[in-house]
Amino acid sequence: MDEALAKALEFSNFTATLNGQKRILHEKYLDDLVLYYNNGKFSISKETLNFAHMLISNNVNNTILIDDNNNPIDIADVKDFHGLALQKYADATNKYLTSYKRLIATKRSVESIVDV
Amino acid sequence: MSNGVLCFAHNNGKIDYLKQATFLAKRVKKYLNLPTTVVTSTPKDLTAKDKKIFDSVIEVEDQNSNLKRYYNGTLHHHQLVFKNASRSNSYDLTPYENTIVLDTDYIICNDTLLNCFNQTQNFLIYDKATDLCDWRKLEEFDYIKDTGIKFYWATCFFFTKNSETKLFFNLLQHIQKNYEHYRKVYNLDKTFRNDHLFSIGIHMMNGFEKGDWAGQLPGKMFYSLDRDFVHSIKDNCVKILVEKQNYSGEYVLASTKDCNVHLMNKFSLAEHING
Repeated sequence: MDEALAKALEFSNFTATLNGQKRILHEKYLDDLVLYYNNGKFSISKETLNFAHMLISNNVNNTILIDDNNNPIDIADVKDFHGLALQKYADATNKYLTSYKRLIATKRSVESIVDV
Repeated sequence: MSNGVLCFAHNNGKIDYLKQATFLAKRVKKYLNLPTTVVTSTPKDLTAKDKKIFDSVIEVEDQNSNLKRYYNGTLHHHQLVFKNASRSNSYDLTPYENTIVLDTDYIICNDTLLNCFNQTQNFLIYDKATDLCDWRKLEEFDYIKDTGIKFYWATCFFFTKNSETKLFFNLLQHIQKNYEHYRKVYNLDKTFRNDHLFSIGIHMMNGFEKGDWAGQLPGKMFYSLDRDFVHSIKDNCVKILVEKQNYSGEYVLASTKDCNVHLMNKFSLAEHING
């Protein structure tokens, strides 16, 4: 095989693997963002965090939130919920960043990409 | 209230589902700290040592069986007997009040499923899963047919024993018994699939329309098809050789960490379990 073509195909394999791994890391990140609280399931987003923060700012410490399954969940302690949500967001995002950095910093070989 | 895992393992002479079940039970213990009960029609294939891994072994008669094409990578396949008829009996068979039912080829790598026991819905199942191959877009996993109802994965589900779930499993048994009729109504192929059985059952429980009778299982389910190969399973890391787009017989690597993965290549899985 022509050397240039062989190198291009090798790079193509590398890119396909890299793109696949990026997608898997992102899916894992979305999963890591889920907080299970008082029998409810909450995918923590900036909206959730801001809403909880706004309630606290207005001295509202108990409320009802609609979870991912559209169930109304009683939040008796908004500060506690906000604290856990913030922690969940920070943990998941840091983990994602670490994994992503490791992924793109690896030497250009398929083996190093999947060694997560 | 007792919690546990139930799995079904019927050996077919070529694939050792009991070995897979033993592998699953060990991981269930490690990551979920739950007991596992296995239902089998081939208990003689279970070694005394492996038997101890299980909380209990339930022996059932060999029920009706299907023929299924099992792939081993993109280039090889075998036509084998697929004994998948007993899953609708889960309610009657399980010794637990709250049960997670798992396929034996489900690789547990985290404790997310424990959240099943801290929620209020009676029945949970996945309607979505993530393919480890990023170019495949399989619509058969979205809807059971092009013009059909929503697809649910019978690979993994949770139920609490009560009158409502009893009703559901009775309904499943009825559909299964009259599958020839229902498969025509829902425009399905002749091969019986538990995924389709559960999808029809849930559709009926929802009043023959979209609904939320079945809740979403916690966490994500990743999967690889039998066209892919298992590269390695080490603790909570699973590496897969997924088929390459437009290059039959060629593969690219994909890996997961702390993710539950459904591995459909039984031959490849067996090599790693036995190896």
